[in-house]
Amino acid sequence: MIELKDISRYFSGVAAVRELNLTIDKGEFCVLVGTSGCGKSTTLRMINRLIEHSAGEIHIDGQPIRSFREEVLRRRIGYVIQSIGLFPHWTVARNIALVPRLLGWEPERIAARVDELMALLGMSHSRFADKYPRQLSGGQAQRVGVARALAADPDILLMDEPFGALDPLTRDGLQDELLALHSRLNKTFVFVTHDMDEALRLADRLVVMHEGRIRQQGRPIDLLREPADEFVESLLGGSDRGLKEAALTPVSARMRRESTPSSAPAIDADASLRDALSLMLWHRADALKVVEGKGSAKMLGTLSLTDVVAARAPTASGEEARP
Amino acid sequence: MSRLRGLVVPLTWLVLLLGGCLAMEALEPLFRWIEPDSRSVIYQRADFLTLLGKHLLVVSAAALLSVAIGIGAAVAVTRRWGQDFLPLVAQLAAIGQTFPPVAVLALAVPVLGFGTLPVIVALLLYGLLPIVRNTLAGLEGVSAEVREAARGMGMTQRQLLMHVEMPLAASVIVAGIRTSVTINIATAAIGATMGASNLGDPIISGIVNGNTAHVLQGAVLIALLALFVDSLFAWLQPESASIGAASA
Repeated sequence: MIELKDISRYFSGVAAVRELNLTIDKGEFCVLVGTSGCGKSTTLRMINRLIEHSAGEIHIDGQPIRSFREEVLRRRIGYVIQSIGLFPHWTVARNIALVPRLLGWEPERIAARVDELMALLGMSHSRFADKYPRQLSGGQAQRVGVARALAADPDILLMDEPFGALDPLTRDGLQDELLALHSRLNKTFVFVTHDMDEALRLADRLVVMHEGRIRQQGRPIDLLREPADEFVESLLGGSDRGLKEAALTPVSARMRRESTPSSAPAIDADASLRDALSLMLWHRADALKVVEGKGSAKMLGTLSLTDVVAARAPTASGEEARP
Repeated sequence: MSRLRGLVVPLTWLVLLLGGCLAMEALEPLFRWIEPDSRSVIYQRADFLTLLGKHLLVVSAAALLSVAIGIGAAVAVTRRWGQDFLPLVAQLAAIGQTFPPVAVLALAVPVLGFGTLPVIVALLLYGLLPIVRNTLAGLEGVSAEVREAARGMGMTQRQLLMHVEMPLAASVIVAGIRTSVTINIATAAIGATMGASNLGDPIISGIVNGNTAHVLQGAVLIALLALFVDSLFAWLQPESASIGAASA
């Protein structure tokens, strides 16, 4: 658990972050989002003391972070930045092994851990282990960055706009992988981005920041439905909010268990309502056949246009939406 | 294998240099033709090999000291605690480069007197500048992201310097040392006017006595030594910079 209590940070007298209070539970995927200069990156970097906080206290698992030596603290926390943060003069394997080496692990243990991480991130050891960062694509380099951050098995992973420099296709893929990784590893992820779609997609807890303060935090769906003020509303997409909400709701939440005419286009039950809407627009159809899994023929039910725009019933996670 | 092949050029210069030192007499007809009226056409007052040894000794002593001091100073002013001196040192390095080497030596005499020591000190001072400048450039060339990642992963300042900054800056630093040493091989010859005996001796005595053959012998040997050392550095220079530069 990470607790930030009344945290402020001043740069030559100007507050970059002021009196910020934030609690991130263990295993949570917390995304800090906001325009540039809102203090989100500063907040993230205060957690591993790359930036010292000017006032307030930060605790990790109940212990104030200043009770550790900086280096010791940082070796316990994974940290990912954009791909250029890899050491250009080291191979992929050596880059990944960085923190275990700093911690003085045995060479055999390090080698085994590197293999394990490369497998976890879907990189073939024989193809990539001896490559240099310049020989990698942006997506591959970013995978190495994540592997490096996970190397010493930290409980917390801090990510500062890790996908900022990637093309949309690669980014989509890595977002999926990151979500899968998160649900598999049960680690606390703190992620900074200015891309609202990315934030909505990844976050368990979305924290909207502006001018060094938290404007609103909560589940993405709650923020979409009830933005605290105009700023949050406009940041969340203004008139685009309907589509963003639809993107967070799976088809399975709205479909009816009825059969459809077989001529209707098929959609995966795990796809979002946004995808469904797009499919309807594209095929000029007002009903879709809901199937189990991509390309599967097993029909689960029907989703009609009325279902999509129907009153908000159960939300993404199956709970009742707040009134 | 290709690494060893790179040694061909330095070895060629070395063979020519040693050949010149040991068998200058063989070229007597050539020098006789240049200097038909002189009593001696081959410099005899000292053995060329001895002069070469002394020349190398002075240059390497000065180079070792200026490498230690130059890299030390550049590293110090790029640390957080030495940052205040960065502009000063950078400026000194820049100004120093505009000084002609002869002037440095001329200024050293009144302060340090004659002999080998003042020559070493003068060469050291002059040789510092390319090293400081290149070390600063090399260290500043390490990208902020790499530094940030190193710190974020929990490297200490020392580990950051030894495992990241220095290896990435190495090729630029070696280039600076190369410039410094090559210039000093030439500059050391002027040291002969200050009582340090080296390959500059034949040149100086040739000028004084109006003997072009002696001047030529000293000059050719110094040129060969400079070419040998320069090509040796070219072979030594690490390729890590190309890795660093290409990784955007």
